[in-house]
Amino acid sequence: MIATLLYEFRMQIRKRSVWIVPALTLVLFVLIGGSLLRDLFDPAERPPEARLAVVGLAVQIHALLSIGFGCLLADRLVRDDRLRVAPILDATPASPGARLVGKYLGAGAATAVPIAVAFFGFATAYAGSSGSWSALPWALAVFGAVMVPGLLFVAAFALTVPLIMPAPLFRVLFVGYWLWGNVVTPDLMPTLSRTVLNPLGGYPMAALFDFAGIDGDDQWAGPFPGATLNFLRPEPTPLIAWLSIALLLVLAAAALTGGHLARLAERTRS
Amino acid sequence: MLGPPIAVAVGVLAAVANPVPSDTNTARVLIGALEMALPLTAGVACASLVGRDPAVEIQLAVPTPYRETLLRRTVVTLGWAALVAALTAAVLIATGWWARWPDNHGVIAGQLTWAAPTLALGGLGLAAAAVSRSPGAAGALVTTVWAIQQFFAGLAQQHLPGRMLYLFATTRGADPADWTANRLTLIAVAVALVALALVVLGRSERLISEDDE
Amino acid sequence: MRIEIAGLTKTFRGGVAALDGLDLTVPTGMFGLLGANGAGKTTLMRILAGIARPTAGRVTVGGHDLATTAGRHAVQRGLGYLPQDLGVYPDLTARQFLDYVALLKGLDDPTVRRRRVGELLEVVALTGQANRRLRGFSGGMRQRVGIAQALLADPRLLIVDEPTAGLDPEERIRFRTLLSQFAGDRTVLLSTHIVDDIAQTCREVAVLSRGRLAFRGTVESLTREAAGRVWSLTTAGPPPPDGTVVSALPAAEGGMRYRIVAATAPGPTAQPLEPALEDGYLTVAAPERSALNA
Repeated sequence: MIATLLYEFRMQIRKRSVWIVPALTLVLFVLIGGSLLRDLFDPAERPPEARLAVVGLAVQIHALLSIGFGCLLADRLVRDDRLRVAPILDATPASPGARLVGKYLGAGAATAVPIAVAFFGFATAYAGSSGSWSALPWALAVFGAVMVPGLLFVAAFALTVPLIMPAPLFRVLFVGYWLWGNVVTPDLMPTLSRTVLNPLGGYPMAALFDFAGIDGDDQWAGPFPGATLNFLRPEPTPLIAWLSIALLLVLAAAALTGGHLARLAERTRS
Repeated sequence: MLGPPIAVAVGVLAAVANPVPSDTNTARVLIGALEMALPLTAGVACASLVGRDPAVEIQLAVPTPYRETLLRRTVVTLGWAALVAALTAAVLIATGWWARWPDNHGVIAGQLTWAAPTLALGGLGLAAAAVSRSPGAAGALVTTVWAIQQFFAGLAQQHLPGRMLYLFATTRGADPADWTANRLTLIAVAVALVALALVVLGRSERLISEDDE
Repeated sequence: MRIEIAGLTKTFRGGVAALDGLDLTVPTGMFGLLGANGAGKTTLMRILAGIARPTAGRVTVGGHDLATTAGRHAVQRGLGYLPQDLGVYPDLTARQFLDYVALLKGLDDPTVRRRRVGELLEVVALTGQANRRLRGFSGGMRQRVGIAQALLADPRLLIVDEPTAGLDPEERIRFRTLLSQFAGDRTVLLSTHIVDDIAQTCREVAVLSRGRLAFRGTVESLTREAAGRVWSLTTAGPPPPDGTVVSALPAAEGGMRYRIVAATAPGPTAQPLEPALEDGYLTVAAPERSALNA
């Protein structure tokens, strides 16, 4: 598993597109006005508290760069078959399950490196320009509790869903899902956004970081008056927030297990 | 090939499931499927046309230039999306849903609702794929551009160049007066991107080196 | 490592039987496997490598039953496998690719692994190119990387499927010699349709024909199968319809001189010839050919 992890990490992080896609995304984002990416460095506009600034930054980076993250990971598992390397790897005593986990963590971590670089880069620049160095521990905490579980969730599905559909179709469905399940507000249509199954991390943000948007008027978790699926939106408490993180990880594990079983079944048939 | 019909189906589902059942809102979601979901599928499909062609060396050795073959594939991809869109639009017009969205811009010119963003994202996908030779990277770029304009609709239209390049000016547009200029700008951008793709694809040895996967 | 195969059947979706009740015993040493394309060689190799599962039948390798996970695992620990359609990661260097496969094969000690990878790069004469990305490698160089990865864990069982395809004559000879030297007390299963490779390396050979065993014995006995059936015939006309033409050369006196495998003399002027291994192979595989022609 460690071997696959290291080599998958190595191969993925060398891909130019892993760096170019997030870089272009940030450039586009800054070009259209960049919102917080600019406001962070404007003493008149920036949020009053380091905690708010860092969580707000996390929301924007996470919401935007996760799309490229999912799309870039979509072909990593089917690639071994396409490159015809799979027979050599399958003939080794290394267990297929361990290799899948290694590939998941290795390729996922490599694709997440530019996201982490962007997030901590902006957080450090903000800390330097505003003098609020407490931003750095907050950034670490938000990265661990909000971004990492969300990315682990996305990576599991991005690796395994293309086993049952072409990668381009997955990319379209994924971005549609991402918009629908994270950004659409529940009063507009039935959605998983703002629920405990939200990979953007509404519950941890609301309950663990006391975040309600930069201006304090957004609702990131908890029941929405008149919305459907409110049974998935209990009152945000720290316990529920940890439960939400655990749920995301359980779903990720389930997706990986499903992918593993699908491959084994395919092998017995071929 | 399944993309465009699925996009329309998702739009209809979203309209049916709409918890705020006003006619205007439902009409907006239905037309939104044409302006948002369908162009996205076309864009990602175009992003997957270059690279990973197992017969690329044979393609490059035949007298028909490969870029002509790719251009034909693009036309088929976009043509299929256009067919699905036109049929859907015809149904919406016949059933009266088209007219229920106030900013529909009429039956004829209104077709630019889907045509302009479909061409723009298709051109972007093809150009990105030609430059990167990686369907993954090109698809990621198309979906990201689409998503940025979705997430930050207000920001994206704050300034003039952004307003001209905004993909969803019919259903999420800030200023209906800019609509025609916006649509024409998108089409012009599409033409420029396809031209760029053709120039890049003319250099055949770029296509036989293995892609960045 | 002795391989025992009994009643092995592999049926693909759609009912195509690649292997049809195959019984075969493979002893220690070099063992050749001959057969036309589609005879079931590659399917057999994949099953032996633990990649594909049989539909029916029993296979044991060195006493390990391939039907069980533990058995497959035990076999794979001592296995080197060079697939016919070899793929590599284009973005790794030759050394990195070998290092990766070595890790997957359980060579965990970094010093041992580095030394082993270095040795094998030397063996396949790629030391000079070891730090180049595989994307720039020619077909023959990739094949050499494939050979090196198969030998990494000092396998007890080496399965090589069409290994000399894509190698130039010099590389082919070197690889053949390498396999023979390597075999010793190990089992090397060499599948090919290049009869000459078998003639130069193997003592024993099996011929597969449409998923069944058509022949099993020594190389000499396979050659003897064609005794009294090999003819030389010089004619200006077309070759005779009965029998299989092995070679056709323009004759000095005009017309063509054919080498023909046939049960009876193909013409009044035909001269009997000493059989070679290729003639023996064509004799036992011929039923398949006539079935194809029918």
